[in-house]
Amino acid sequence: MRRNRVLAAGAAGLLFAGVLTACSDSRAEGPVTVKLLQFQEARADVVKDLIPEFEKAMAEKGQDVKVELVTDILTDDQFRTKITQQFYSGKAPDVVDMGNKNVTGMAGAGYLLKLDKYLHTWDGWDEYYPSVKDGARERNGSYYSLPHEASVQSLFYRKDVLERLGIDTSQPRTWDELIARLKQVRAKTGEAPIVLPAGTAWGDGSWSEGLLPVMAGTGSTLYDDESGKWKLRSKGLSAAFDLYADLVEADLLPVRDLQNPNPWEPTKYQKFPQGTLPVAAQGSWGWKYDWGPEGSAPIKNSRERIGTWDYPALVPGTKPAPVSGGGFGYSVNADAAHPDAAVELAKWLSSGKALAKQLAAVGAVSPREGLSGTAPYKNEPSLLQAEDELKSSIQPPLGDGEDRVSQAVQSATAKIVSGDADGSQAADAFAEEAAELLGSTRVAK
Amino acid sequence: MTTAKTSAARPTRPLQERAALPVLLGPSVLLIAVFVIAPAAYGIYLALTDTQLTGFAAQDPQFVGLENFRNLLGSADFLESLGRTGEFVLWSAIIGQTVLGMLAALLLRQKWLRGKGLFGALMLLPMVVPEVVASLTWASVLSSEDGSTFNRLLGLFGSGAAAPLQEYPMTSVILINVWRGIAFAMIMFQAALEDVPDELLEASRMDGASALQVFRHITLPLIRGPVFLYLLLTTITTVGVFGLIYFLTQGGPGQDTEITSVYIFQSAFKYSQIGLGSAASVILLILLTILGMTYARLAKVEV
Repeated sequence: MRRNRVLAAGAAGLLFAGVLTACSDSRAEGPVTVKLLQFQEARADVVKDLIPEFEKAMAEKGQDVKVELVTDILTDDQFRTKITQQFYSGKAPDVVDMGNKNVTGMAGAGYLLKLDKYLHTWDGWDEYYPSVKDGARERNGSYYSLPHEASVQSLFYRKDVLERLGIDTSQPRTWDELIARLKQVRAKTGEAPIVLPAGTAWGDGSWSEGLLPVMAGTGSTLYDDESGKWKLRSKGLSAAFDLYADLVEADLLPVRDLQNPNPWEPTKYQKFPQGTLPVAAQGSWGWKYDWGPEGSAPIKNSRERIGTWDYPALVPGTKPAPVSGGGFGYSVNADAAHPDAAVELAKWLSSGKALAKQLAAVGAVSPREGLSGTAPYKNEPSLLQAEDELKSSIQPPLGDGEDRVSQAVQSATAKIVSGDADGSQAADAFAEEAAELLGSTRVAK
Repeated sequence: MTTAKTSAARPTRPLQERAALPVLLGPSVLLIAVFVIAPAAYGIYLALTDTQLTGFAAQDPQFVGLENFRNLLGSADFLESLGRTGEFVLWSAIIGQTVLGMLAALLLRQKWLRGKGLFGALMLLPMVVPEVVASLTWASVLSSEDGSTFNRLLGLFGSGAAAPLQEYPMTSVILINVWRGIAFAMIMFQAALEDVPDELLEASRMDGASALQVFRHITLPLIRGPVFLYLLLTTITTVGVFGLIYFLTQGGPGQDTEITSVYIFQSAFKYSQIGLGSAASVILLILLTILGMTYARLAKVEV
């Protein structure tokens, strides 16, 4: 009798443990929620429509994954400040869609999940262009972002305006040649004819869309991958700062607009569409995001009225070339509760029709082969042309501390724009400030 | 009986007071310790490290001693930001708000003035408007676009469009800060002027003193304490002004309006260098403490 009681108690215990285990399992297999952050409206809008399709695709695979879209519309600088603090305080979402220029600093700080094991076992990764993979690879050889967009940085010009003014619209071979044409425009219109992002108000754009592409084709080393050090004085850098100073001295840059708190508004959103400022340094997203029918400042028949030039040669012995402008990628929080599901979302959004829809919506270039026949991307000739250029574009080298270099470039170009420095003084100020910010261990002697 | 009661109560009263003291002061001390002293101490600790929010160095912050302070005191950008802060405080707070606030308070004391309620309300409005709303409103009014309010007004006089926030940035932010701060000065000075006896003012006028002499030799000495207290408060708050400038000019154009609070924000958050930003904050704290003690000594008021 006593033995029966012991057995009964044991059986009850086992049954109870079994129930607990079953409950525990059911929780583990229950819906998995992945939070995805978008900070630009166009991207958020297109992804919002794609999420149900992803959830359905996962359900067909027997996985119950729900995606919560977090939309927080911010400028690039605001986003960078905010997401950095979210990561630092452990409050960042699982998947973050952001420009690859942000990735190095955040990966270095340990905020992002290393994606190597996921990418190397994914067929899609083999279709990525080598230049895109190079741009996404961090100094330690690993990947912390899955690129889903690429861009080509060019000089966009108003074909209709220049032709009306009788200005040559063929590809200028050198900056001197282009400056001569710009002076003709200035003489005829009385207004500054070109905008290159510069100064502190344009934020990181002064670096990534301003000085970096100008000096990228000079052949000077800016960041040495092997030593992991920045070379802050070079022929290319000096030539780039001199170019800015020459443009300011000849009244070719709109200095007052560049000192506006939102300098892209009077330049890219007002004067370029009006045709009073006919040349602008711009990434390929400008075709849709800025000047497309649903862009920030639409230009009718933009394909007929706008043309692009490669960056002209800045120093002797070089030739004009398109410059890779980076792009957006999906990064996964290192502390994501469900990293596998988060990476699945990133991979799905970077493939097939989902990717084609995003590219067409924001005007980005495909970072991988095989998309040129997929609608709606296949109906975007400007983007397909930029994708061709991407294959031969120069990939500017980027490394740890890029945000510090960007900061120093913003200050140095601000000095030129405000008339406080000439080219060589700005180059000196840049080298001094960047060295101070980077610290001696990250600067080549 | 009465004597016995009195003698029994004498030793217990101080004891009760002693017991009540921690109860009364405890919550305040606790709050100050948690929300003022602890963050300040943590800020000082961060200032001695190379703490960053991004980059490989972020994973392993190092103690760097006074390196951040050395960098800042050798940095032209930081020293210039301190200079601009001094300029901003001097013109907007010490001169602009104080003088205009005093004039408004004196005006409101005049018996002949009609519509005091409306006048006072109008002066108070800028203080009531949230900082961000005030900044964005002025940014719109002073925008360089042809359609901005300021340029439309200029157009009425036949003048071309101007861009005051780009052409006269520091003057613009100083004037806007004066506009926002007059109300507080006026309230402080109005309260102080209430304590100046009317008889004294009447007597001095009877003796033939002019209005300026009355103010200089009678009124001002009597309200010296509140005036210096106001100067102390407005200096502290004006040094800490951030939102107004950030939303108007973001410290630009160039660095023309980058006062130290903006410099600290840029260093610590935009460029993620928490250690450097903290060191800049500590330097500002030291300067403010020195300034505050000077004011307190000049006013001979206990703060």
